[in-house]
Amino acid sequence: MVNLDDLKKEAHRILEENKVKYIIGYSQGSNGFPAVPAFIRNPEDSDNLIWNPACIHNLTRFLRDEKKRKAREKHPDNRPVGIIVKGCDSRAINVLLQENYITREDVFILGVSCEDTGVIDEKKLAKKLMGKMALSFDWDGNRNLVVTTKNGEIKINADEVLAERCLECPAQSPVVYDILFGDKVKRSPETRFESVEKIEKLSTEERWAFWKEQFDKCIRCYACRSVCPMCYCDECVVDTISFAVTADTTAEEKAQKIKWIDKSPVPSETFFYHMVRAIHLAGRCIDCGECERVCPLDIPIRFLNKKLEKEAKNLFDYEVGFDPNQLSLVSSFKDEDPEDFIR
Amino acid sequence: MSDNAYIPKLSKIIEVIEEAGGGRPIKTFRTQFVDVNGFTHKCGQCAMLSVFGKGESMISISSTPLVKDYLQFSILKSGRVTSAIHAMQEGDIIGVRGPYGNNFPIEKWKGKNLIFIGGGIGLAPIWSVLQTALRKKSYYGKLSLIYGTRTSPDIIYKEELEELKKEMTVHLSVDHEEEGWKEYVGFVPLNVLDKKPSPKNAVAITCGPPIMIKFVIQNLEALGFKDEQIYTTVENKMKCGVGKCGRCNIGKHYVCKDGPVYSWAELKKLPREY
Amino acid sequence: MQKILTKKSFPKWVEDLVNYQIYAPVEKNDLWSYEIVTANEITIDYPNTVLSPKQITFPQREFFLEFNQNEDGTPGVKELLPEENEAVVFGVRPCDAKGVTHMDKVFGGDFEDAYYWKRRNQVTLVGLACNTPPSPNCFCTSVEGSPYSVEGLDVLLTDIGDRFFVQTFTKKGDRIINASKGLFAAPKPKEKTDMEKIHQDAVKAMPRSLKDMKKIPPKLKDLFEADLWDLEAMSCISCGICTYLCPTCHCFDIQDEITSSSPLEGKRVRTWDNCQFPDFTMHSSGHNPRPDKASRLRQRIMHKFQYFVENHKNYQCIGCGRCISKCPVGIDIIQVLEKVRDHV
Repeated sequence: MVNLDDLKKEAHRILEENKVKYIIGYSQGSNGFPAVPAFIRNPEDSDNLIWNPACIHNLTRFLRDEKKRKAREKHPDNRPVGIIVKGCDSRAINVLLQENYITREDVFILGVSCEDTGVIDEKKLAKKLMGKMALSFDWDGNRNLVVTTKNGEIKINADEVLAERCLECPAQSPVVYDILFGDKVKRSPETRFESVEKIEKLSTEERWAFWKEQFDKCIRCYACRSVCPMCYCDECVVDTISFAVTADTTAEEKAQKIKWIDKSPVPSETFFYHMVRAIHLAGRCIDCGECERVCPLDIPIRFLNKKLEKEAKNLFDYEVGFDPNQLSLVSSFKDEDPEDFIR
Repeated sequence: MSDNAYIPKLSKIIEVIEEAGGGRPIKTFRTQFVDVNGFTHKCGQCAMLSVFGKGESMISISSTPLVKDYLQFSILKSGRVTSAIHAMQEGDIIGVRGPYGNNFPIEKWKGKNLIFIGGGIGLAPIWSVLQTALRKKSYYGKLSLIYGTRTSPDIIYKEELEELKKEMTVHLSVDHEEEGWKEYVGFVPLNVLDKKPSPKNAVAITCGPPIMIKFVIQNLEALGFKDEQIYTTVENKMKCGVGKCGRCNIGKHYVCKDGPVYSWAELKKLPREY
Repeated sequence: MQKILTKKSFPKWVEDLVNYQIYAPVEKNDLWSYEIVTANEITIDYPNTVLSPKQITFPQREFFLEFNQNEDGTPGVKELLPEENEAVVFGVRPCDAKGVTHMDKVFGGDFEDAYYWKRRNQVTLVGLACNTPPSPNCFCTSVEGSPYSVEGLDVLLTDIGDRFFVQTFTKKGDRIINASKGLFAAPKPKEKTDMEKIHQDAVKAMPRSLKDMKKIPPKLKDLFEADLWDLEAMSCISCGICTYLCPTCHCFDIQDEITSSSPLEGKRVRTWDNCQFPDFTMHSSGHNPRPDKASRLRQRIMHKFQYFVENHKNYQCIGCGRCISKCPVGIDIIQVLEKVRDHV
């Protein structure tokens, strides 16, 4: 079991000893939100840290804000940032290390193990509670979620409320850390890609109809891209909402910049955005599921990335985020890579 | 169709003048509406120029309202739309909609000395006031111009400035030493301090890069100008031009509707986000 | 006028509205949205939709004009106004309807937006009073709204059990009642008191509130340069959820979309835009008046609770709580405003 007091003590220590600038962790949200990202700067505030099955957010997303902030400072503070990560989140750190986006010295990693459970899917829980408000919840150590409501306690089996990605997770405890809370666990789930296989079984027409219906809902809020730790490009090739323009950028460069997709939320543009983003994440996505969680229209975006993760594993035996020194999937090759598509 | 503010009116380019070349090209375009009569504007107002297929760009009308034959726009080639405009030639059709924004309160400046201070392309938005004042000299006091650019090839309205020297005080400057340059060398705000225009019964009208405006205003205050005596015109990214798309606001004002002309007294009251 | 309509007769009323397109909330996989429905698909008892009905009068994408190239190379331009389609929208929550009146202020004024008004004038809004708050984050009463507010509505229905108490406020509202006169009865005094009690109970059940709201606009004026914004925006990820879901956010973009480059053919299109996107205010030169999340969050709060108040005497917020419920990182507008109000 993860001991929250130990976590708080360690947070307190590293802040007091000025070992880190601040800590990115989780705290209680307002109005009963079970967990939100929090930035702890003072040792006394480390008491605000929480750890519960609603700590879903991938906090590594905020490492790029830190990097941008440092780049703007004249005399940057080069101490690391403390960060609380789960197994999936820690793999994101490995990918960022692999890509030299950050260095190991930029982060002090407080790894927290999910042990034999994970995080909940809020929608699945809401369905189980049928309108009742959850005052608090936690795992009971026997793979049950115990939920306290106004009218008493409810016990729900973990498999019925766990996020789908947790059921397929290959890294239930962090793979990189400076200090680990909870037990180290390594399990290889038999069902790595079951969610994707369900859709693969559909015919082409059924799959087209499925995705057309989903993408018709898309309002191109770009929350999926904004929340992804790996979508850190200053200028996204698919749709630039953030031009990297300096005083030296010439008028010609700006005039000739290709507009790959229009802003209009029509099927052609929306499909293109999601497809290209998925391909750009091939070999980089660690399935934290945030893209799907944040989508206000409940579009199952995660399937696109999971499909490519499956391809990477089956075709190239490539695993994402376990080794910070491995080469990138799309910019390296081995002699034994499959060639049957080359005629 | 005539009531719809978003529909541009087709306008023919009747003249193209190359003002400055090099890395920061500036061209002046004179346009005539294909079939609109009676378009009028006030000094300081702008129009949205449309290049169909590329987009729109909000440009100050730099001709005086007293000239009815054409509208003049002096445009710095900066990005997608302005590059497309620069590629256009005499005879080509461009879309024009407007006029938008407020105007310089020139009728309030009777008898006052007008000091125009411009930098680079910033001379264009205040040119309409200068041209109007020239044509109504008896209404105003003494007219003078302090204008500077990075290098002498960047100077716009070169021929007009030569003519102007015969009718009013004109002080030019370039930022750095140049072979053959006989006038002031240095940034425009420093030239302002050098020429010491008197605040007595005067109005200063300035426009240029944001950093130039900032220091010009500072130096004018040092010379004794009051906030109400300093006027400028600001710029912001715009799309609709009519105060609805929410993009160009500085505080509660939309620059396209409540601006772009502000006295320093008014601008001071707005939040510093421009 | 005031009438009673039994729930049993409700589908018949909708059927009688033959000349209108009918919009109502529809559920698909736990997600509610406004869709065009037929009489037998209609449900009007629902929590709240993800996207507000603002998209009916101000769609996420609409055409301004089309352009093409004449044989002599000159451009041709044709205005593309929305089609003639009278519509009735059922199930509009009073907060969302109040939001429509705010949009009316934005798109009216000196330059009346032809496209917005073409749609707006053709739409009849039928509200559904909130018996219970549709969201755990509702706070309409703190921003001069209420669960039975009639602002922006042509008709208001209140659910009083097996029937609706029907009130009309405009000629448009009267017209759709008269389309089906036989179904409506005169209200009895008890039915009226039932309705009034439901309205008052709904106010008491409001889940969230913001005290001393009036202190906030003047406080905001002084806090432009405060550190507060940096701290509140720390976890913001600059996505577009709060603004796109907001019933009163109106920022838009105008883009040319080409379908053929030679000869030139295409349309000028208006789409929603978002002040939280990093390049919303970026000039062509690269200069950006709002280069960071803090300034963008500040703009959102200032626009809604200070600038709009000074310009139009209304909060540009109707208290629906969508931004709070859907923010991926839990930024809570009520909490931010409380910090503003209590800032020393």
